[in-house]
Amino acid sequence: MTTAQPERTGAPEGLSLRHRLRRDRSLILMTVPAVVLLLVFNYLPLFGLATAFQEYDPLVGVWQSEWVGFDQFSRLLGDAMFWHAMTNTLYLSFVQLILFFPIPIALAMLLNTVLSERTRNFIQSVVYLPHFFSWVLAITIFQQMLGGAGALNQFLRQQDIGTWDIMTNPDTFALLVTSQSIWKEAGWGIIVFLAALSAINTELYEAAAADGAGRFRRMWHITLPGLRGVIVLMLVLRLGNALSVGFEQFLIQRNAVGHDAADVLDTFSFYYGIATGDYSYGAAAGLFKSVISLLLIWGANRLAHAFGDDGLYRK
Amino acid sequence: MNRRSFVNAAVSVAGAAAMTPLLSACGGGADRKTGANTEAGLKSALPAYVPSTSGKPEIPSVAGGPDAATDPAYLSYPSAPVTTVSGVPGKGGSYTAVTPLWGTVPPAGNAFYQAMNKALGVELTMKPTDGNNYATIVPTMTAAKKLPDWIQLPSWWNPNFNLGGLAGTQLADLTPYLSGDKIKKYPNLAAIPTGAWQVGVWGDKLYGIPCFSSKFVVAGTTFYRRDILEGRGIKADQVKSADDLLSLGKELTDAKRGVWAFGDLWTYLYTAWGAPLKWKVDNGKLVHLFETQEFLEALDWHNRLAASGYVHPDSLAGDNANATTRFYSGKVLIDGGGTGVWKLSDHQAGIAADPNYRRGAFNVFAADGKSKPVVYMGASTAILSYLNADLKPAQIEELLSVANYLAAPYGSAEYTMANFGVEGVHHTRVNGVPTFTDEGQKAVQSQTFPFLASPSAVISNPGGDIVTKDLSAWQADNVQALTKPPFWGMNISMPQAMATAEAAQAVSDTVQDCYRGKKKVSEVQEAVASWRSSSGDRLKGWMTENVLNKYGTGQ
Repeated sequence: MTTAQPERTGAPEGLSLRHRLRRDRSLILMTVPAVVLLLVFNYLPLFGLATAFQEYDPLVGVWQSEWVGFDQFSRLLGDAMFWHAMTNTLYLSFVQLILFFPIPIALAMLLNTVLSERTRNFIQSVVYLPHFFSWVLAITIFQQMLGGAGALNQFLRQQDIGTWDIMTNPDTFALLVTSQSIWKEAGWGIIVFLAALSAINTELYEAAAADGAGRFRRMWHITLPGLRGVIVLMLVLRLGNALSVGFEQFLIQRNAVGHDAADVLDTFSFYYGIATGDYSYGAAAGLFKSVISLLLIWGANRLAHAFGDDGLYRK
Repeated sequence: MNRRSFVNAAVSVAGAAAMTPLLSACGGGADRKTGANTEAGLKSALPAYVPSTSGKPEIPSVAGGPDAATDPAYLSYPSAPVTTVSGVPGKGGSYTAVTPLWGTVPPAGNAFYQAMNKALGVELTMKPTDGNNYATIVPTMTAAKKLPDWIQLPSWWNPNFNLGGLAGTQLADLTPYLSGDKIKKYPNLAAIPTGAWQVGVWGDKLYGIPCFSSKFVVAGTTFYRRDILEGRGIKADQVKSADDLLSLGKELTDAKRGVWAFGDLWTYLYTAWGAPLKWKVDNGKLVHLFETQEFLEALDWHNRLAASGYVHPDSLAGDNANATTRFYSGKVLIDGGGTGVWKLSDHQAGIAADPNYRRGAFNVFAADGKSKPVVYMGASTAILSYLNADLKPAQIEELLSVANYLAAPYGSAEYTMANFGVEGVHHTRVNGVPTFTDEGQKAVQSQTFPFLASPSAVISNPGGDIVTKDLSAWQADNVQALTKPPFWGMNISMPQAMATAEAAQAVSDTVQDCYRGKKKVSEVQEAVASWRSSSGDRLKGWMTENVLNKYGTGQ
């Protein structure tokens, strides 16, 4: 995304590539580390995808392992547990889209109305903080508070009121993980929206207020249209990531709610691929997921363009 | 540590040997030998056994069935340790060694390492590595063919390391140096029992040097808080059946005070219903654990236990990381665990939480209270070190001499050096027993050298005699219950597809959900049925044809 930006610095037509390279050399130099990072950790490992078409044995290496064509994929498509993990992933993704996605936007808009700089900074620090906790810590806090022997249930027990099973109930697991995500990440998610809000010309508000527009009308006609581009971009990215709902969060809580509720595509690859030495099977599951994700992100981007928005890039 | 696989017959994955029709389409795969050791081959590879005569344990070993005996126990430490190795074993070679460490890693090149190198006569660079991530660290070394000169590979991870494949390709064959009477050149190594060496034999050749070998190896047992239960007048031998245990659960649970009777019991208790560890042989036919009625009965009991309200909610939520904390703080009074936990450091940690702390274990019992109590034995060691195949013969001999030094018996000068460091620097004698100084706690207490080679296990907890006495008494009470499972001590190499089938991840996930009360027994039966039709029955066929029919049960 970002690497596409320097192209649009308004270069006069007709400059040769060599001239442009010369002119932008310091900018290009600055992007080199990021590009190298991408190459080494994102592009180079792509060659490992070959293992999805093999019966891969790490000891003999990729070159010596046996090629089996699409056998891993036909195994995968016939595996009920894989489809179960897929359903879980899509369901969780949907729940998160409905419940999680609007919250950072709402928070950003609320925060934007706070006038005192100090209060604003304080609130920002407080809501950013959980982002820096690891999932292990976040879930431990939830367990200590809401777990079967946690603060809430121990209180209920002492009052002779029945206990409330929050952390180990498979039926409400989607709500649990979504609320954990909101607690941990919603604050961090407001940054991009705050940036977009600060780009809205304040004169518009003054003019609208002078014309008698109330708080709600100002939000509807100025704030939201100002955020629209960013919201659509985030939505496209979110859809492209629909099959990545997280890994550690589910890995850690898998024991608590059971594998039926907690297995998503990423944990499926881990438990049924890597953990049992069935690497090729895990790679096949991962590749399948990537292909679907690519289609999703492409589709969402097309949709954004169709509605006249920027999507991932300007058309 | 992977507790469950610890005791099972060491199984390794020997590459894609094109076992399934699915895989046989394309060629190019590496062909590796699968199966187990032959009887004659094993015999010719194993070293002779020459027991050590030094050392007079206060509590001598008690014999059980074949290859079963309690560990000898010491309450005192020799005041003048005897030297068993004359001169310096090494010839000044430089080597690197990697061992797993569950604890704080000592600083590199510390004074203890230097003192050891001087005593050993080699430049040995010790690289202790986090035990919790060991299973994922080692495969990166083997994939790059960059193993150190000397490495510790615990056998419960043999499938992860593909040990059957490493043997002979990346690990050195020690048969020419140690088989038969050749081992007599290394008397301390010769004092390690044959059963332990057997674990290091692959494809009829000897590769592994056993550490901490013992004739009392069980995966784990059911522990209880002896101080608290005895305070209420409950004795361990009152628990003779599953019903006894359940009624104890009712008596001990006080949820309002945050006290529950049970933690996680299943892993070490399911065999009490007569279920096999993994395989049993019935009328010459192989039967898998999942096919047995006893397995379902055990599951049913644990499933009902989960609903009884006597199990700590965090245990039901699968939070194993804090299990010891719950046990120390008295929130859980009865919990399953590996027997390795029963030692001095546990005693000290427990006492720090509760001055009355005392760990006890129930005697092995049969669930119905009538059948003969049985606990399945693990191989005589799970901790083995290996030398790199690239070493030259003279280097292998030099390192074997070093191993001989490290395997010196309990209480000898060499043992004292490897386990307690230099007197006055790393330990001092308090009431005659070596006690670590601050320096010693940092550099020596987290054991490193004993993971390369060590003598047969003894029970010794300097400064904590109560632990030594309790553990010895429990071993003596239960040694008769030790039973060899089928394929005991056999190193079986299997193709990848079979290893995946044996891991049966889908079934073990469902079993776990069942004993934690989230799934019904019938759902486990469904998972078993689908496992059998997809790969389980093929696994059984493979085991019957390639192991049972060719090599027998190893009993």
